[in-house]
Amino acid sequence: MIEERFSKGDSIIHKLDPRIKIIYAFLFSIIMAVSANPLVLTSGFVFSLALVFLARLEFKEILKRLFLVNIFILLLWLILPLSVPGKLLFSIWKLHITQEGIIYAFQITVRCNTIVLAIIAFLSTSSILNLTYALKSLRIPDKMVYLFFLIYRYIFTLLKEYRRLENALKIRGFIPKTSLQTYRVYAYLTGTLLIRSYDRAEQIYRAMLCRGFTGKFWVLNKNSFKKTDILSIGIFGIYITLLLFLQWMKSS
Amino acid sequence: MHISEGVLSAPALIGGASAAAAGIGFGIKKIKDEDLPKVAVLSSALFVASLIHIPLGPASVHLILNGLAGLILGWSVFPALFLALLLQAILFQFGGLTTLGVNTLTMGLPAILCFYLFSKSMRSKSDVLAIISGFLTGVLGVFLASILVALFLVTTGEAFLNVAKLVIIAHIPVMILEGIITSFIIVVIKKIRPEILGGVE
Amino acid sequence: MDEVLVNLKNITFGYPSRPKLLKDLNFTFHKGERIGLTGHNGSGKTTLLHIIMGLLKPFDGEIEIFGKARKNEEDFREVRKRIGLLFQNSDDQLFCPSVYEEIAFAPLNFGKSKEEIKRVVRRILNLVGLEGLEKMPPYHLSGGEKRRLALGTVLAMEPEILLLDEPTLELDEDGVQKLMDILRKPHFSYIVVSQDINFLKKVTDSIHIINDGKIKKYNS
Ligand SMILES: Nc1ncnc2c1ncn2[C@@H]1O[C@H](COP(=O)(O)OP(=O)(O)O)[C@@H](O)[C@H]1O
Ligand SMILES: [Mg+2]
Repeated sequence: MIEERFSKGDSIIHKLDPRIKIIYAFLFSIIMAVSANPLVLTSGFVFSLALVFLARLEFKEILKRLFLVNIFILLLWLILPLSVPGKLLFSIWKLHITQEGIIYAFQITVRCNTIVLAIIAFLSTSSILNLTYALKSLRIPDKMVYLFFLIYRYIFTLLKEYRRLENALKIRGFIPKTSLQTYRVYAYLTGTLLIRSYDRAEQIYRAMLCRGFTGKFWVLNKNSFKKTDILSIGIFGIYITLLLFLQWMKSS
Repeated sequence: MHISEGVLSAPALIGGASAAAAGIGFGIKKIKDEDLPKVAVLSSALFVASLIHIPLGPASVHLILNGLAGLILGWSVFPALFLALLLQAILFQFGGLTTLGVNTLTMGLPAILCFYLFSKSMRSKSDVLAIISGFLTGVLGVFLASILVALFLVTTGEAFLNVAKLVIIAHIPVMILEGIITSFIIVVIKKIRPEILGGVE
Repeated sequence: MDEVLVNLKNITFGYPSRPKLLKDLNFTFHKGERIGLTGHNGSGKTTLLHIIMGLLKPFDGEIEIFGKARKNEEDFREVRKRIGLLFQNSDDQLFCPSVYEEIAFAPLNFGKSKEEIKRVVRRILNLVGLEGLEKMPPYHLSGGEKRRLALGTVLAMEPEILLLDEPTLELDEDGVQKLMDILRKPHFSYIVVSQDINFLKKVTDSIHIINDGKIKKYNS
């Protein structure tokens, strides 16, 4: 579940510097999130689709992720067309479906999927390790970067620990049901996990002390720009300018 | 519980992000160097715990545990939630990027409220008080989070009123489940390592 | 007799709301000694090693290390520079993003130069047999590799004494063999904690046992 499915690969996208990918991801998502301009949204969708295509990722896996994301969107489709006032398109029984409602739901769908695709293309194509280095050199405060890394790092260890605890239960014939007893067991599992984590954290801090920790977190990796990175800055820059221009034309 | 990308209006996103940033900044400042492993590993554990699916009638739900997170982490719950959400966005595209602030806030505010309301009763000798506070922590954490999600939706547009109501109603069973499980968890922790409850300070 | 490196006098310790674990414990460790320490689970072996490193403070008793009484945090900072502790659980000891940074962590904290550190890392990788893995995140290593890396991070500090807490855990036969080769280097003084008496017999000169809060000579 926490393996970094999309981070392995040797596409152009994978090879881009994670620092600029982080910046692209945020810039692009923000523009998409606040725009209602059909041109901006359409081109954005095509753009992020192209990125994912360029990254040559496992198609089936992408569809699976998008499916999960769109479950909530589906709920909006059931409600929004009925509750946005506007031009009546048609009525079924007592339900009035408006054109504005459909457009609104459609906008949200495109926005959401576009941003999710962009996150996959820009962020999921780097390993958490490389993103950690990138955050560090983007001057995010040390403590934040190190916390980000440590949380991820110990999820591995704790998932393993959790599976061990769970297996011990299964061996003893535990079958989850909707019952107080089941909930008590899950609470016991979670409680045990938290207690072990607490003790583990104490050990980690002691290990840090043993190795001369004085409050400084060392993250060493030095990134350097490659030609493709600089090229990508050019392309992305032009594209973003175009988007902003389109957006501005519409609103003025 | 989180709001997806593409739904909220710009003012809602910006408002959420600024408030969350304040919480994160304050939280990170409060973490002493020696407490960093504690905050990190406990956050990892809460992350892992929230991946567990628990049967509830014909379906299964996963725990949110934001109230419990508040009790355990204190103010560092803000950076912890933010980073956990960022990891979720990168690893399985739950939530998103522009919604990071809003989602941190909707889960973090109830968490820190639970911390102020209930961390005292966790330290009391009475188990009954701890069990009741644990139940309330679970219920309030989810209830207030769903209210905040609903508020963000409604400020984006009145069209979301029905969605907002649905969000709250859909979370009622989850609230009760969280209440029950949180109170059980509290009992386990209080017996073995009571110092965990009461915030990393 | 050789120089006394560690001298524990009448150490008493217990965890909060638990019965006392170490009671009036006495222990002396000399330069060049290679000691095995055994005892059943929960007898306090790990606790004892952590007391030597100043990670836990005894209620009572005196600790003398490298000829000086050690009481406060300041005293132990020097101790930790000169004694290397391999933790019982490698995951507790590996908290850096990559193998390279893991080995470099202590030397960086002790102010070594970048060039020196490069050399140290290369030497250690070779010593513990992890060449080519320097960019790997430690959490992607196998159990045995983690154990060897953890040992490497300790050796990178070039400690005068090694304290190894159940070093053979998670190691396969080959790994145990490699560990024995590393330990056989003549200049080491060390204390090895293990449940495996045969292993202790191979790598140490004398075996002690913790029992009921005290250390005794072990006779099989
Ligand atoms: N942080 C702690 N809080 C409470 N009890 C502890 C703690 N750490 C260890 N103990 C208990 O102290 C006893 C001795 O532990 P330890 O020194 O790890 O034993 P050993 O290494 O010989 O197996 C065990 O019963 C253990 O449960
Ligand atoms: Mg032990």
